[in-house]
Amino acid sequence: MEFKDYYRTLGVAREAPADEIRKAFRKLARKYHPDVSKEADAEARMKEVNEAYAVLSDPEKRAAYDQLGRDYRPGEEFRPPPDWDAGFEFSHHDFQGADVSDFFAELFGRMGARGHGQDHFAKVLLDVEDAFLGAARQIALRVPKVDAQGRVALEARTLSVKIPVGVREGQLIRLAGQGAAGAGKPGDLLLEVHFKPHARYRVEGRDLHVDLPVAPWEAALGAVVRLEVPGGALNVRIPAGAQSARVLRVRGKGIPAQPAGDLLLAIRVVLPGADTPKARELYEQMARELAFDPRAGT
Amino acid sequence: MSDDELIALEELTVVCAVTPEWVRERVEEGLLPAAPEWRFSALAVRRVRRMVALERDFDAVPELAALMADLLEELDALRARLR
Repeated sequence: MEFKDYYRTLGVAREAPADEIRKAFRKLARKYHPDVSKEADAEARMKEVNEAYAVLSDPEKRAAYDQLGRDYRPGEEFRPPPDWDAGFEFSHHDFQGADVSDFFAELFGRMGARGHGQDHFAKVLLDVEDAFLGAARQIALRVPKVDAQGRVALEARTLSVKIPVGVREGQLIRLAGQGAAGAGKPGDLLLEVHFKPHARYRVEGRDLHVDLPVAPWEAALGAVVRLEVPGGALNVRIPAGAQSARVLRVRGKGIPAQPAGDLLLAIRVVLPGADTPKARELYEQMARELAFDPRAGT
Repeated sequence: MSDDELIALEELTVVCAVTPEWVRERVEEGLLPAAPEWRFSALAVRRVRRMVALERDFDAVPELAALMADLLEELDALRARLR
C-alpha cells in the first residue's frame, strides 16, 4: 500500500490552518466537479480530494495522520504500526461514501459506521444496443468488509448483472441484497443506467434518434431505403419531396417496452460531388433547365 | 431483480446517506420532488446526490444547492440532445 500525501493532494503546507485547507478543498471541488469539469480524470481526482479533505478537515484524524506521516514519503510502501491510532477518537460526520483508497480504509476503516452512500449505489455504462437486446454485464465494486478484529478493508467484488430489454437512460436497477451490509442484513444495490455516446444513435426516453442520409433523387422522388437499427433491419419509405432535417417517425420501433418507443429518422440529403465529367454535366443540366431558387421566399 | 420506478424514503436515505429529516425538509420547501406516499424517482435520487455534495462541499444553503441541481438537470437534457 502506498503512503498518500494528503497535503500535497490539496496543495497546502503541513502547517496550513483549517480555513486554508477548507479554501483549497473548495477550489479543487469546483475544478473537479464531475458535472462541469473538463479535466479527463475529474472523477478520480475528486475522490482523492474528498478523501484528503475528510482527513485534514477533521482535527482528530489530521493529528493522527500527521503523527503517522512523519516518517513517510508519498508513494512509499506503507504499513501502519499496530495500535497506531490508540488515543484518537475519530468522528466521521462529514465524510460520505466508502469509495476510498486502500490507504484510507486501512487507517480510518475502523470507524465502521462511516457513511455508506457509495456502497449502495453505482453507475453502469451500457451500449444503446443493450436496451434492445438486453445484456449481461460484469460490474466491479469495492466493498468494505469487516474482519475479526473489527477493521474494515476494501474487498474487490464482481457482480453479474442482467440488463433487461427496454432499459432507459437514468433508470435504476435494483439488485436485492447486493449492497453493503449495514448493521445486520445487506441492503440493496441500486445501479443507475447510462448509455455510452454512440456515433449514430441518440436515445431520448424510449425514442431512438438516427440520422438518415439520402440521395437527392431519393428525397425528391421518394424511395424505400433499407436501414440497420439495433432492433434489426427495416425498410423505410421516404416520402417524395422530403427535405433535409425533416423527421420521419416510425412508431414502435424505438426501445422495446410497454409501450415501445418510436424511431425518429432525421433526413439528411447528401449531395454527390461534381467530381466526374458525368456528374458535372448533370448538375449543369439541372442548373440550365430547372427554374430553381433555393432562396426564393427568404 | 426488479426495476421499480419509485423507491421508498428509507431506501433513498440509505443510498444517498442522508437523514429522513433532511429529505422531508427539502420536499416541504419544494426543493425536491416526491411522488405520493413519500416515494422517489430515479431522477430524485440523482438530484439528492447532487444536492448533498453541493451542501457538503461548499456549505451551500439548500436553496442554492437546489438551484444548481436545476441547472445541472437542464445541462443533462441539453447534453443528451447533443449526443
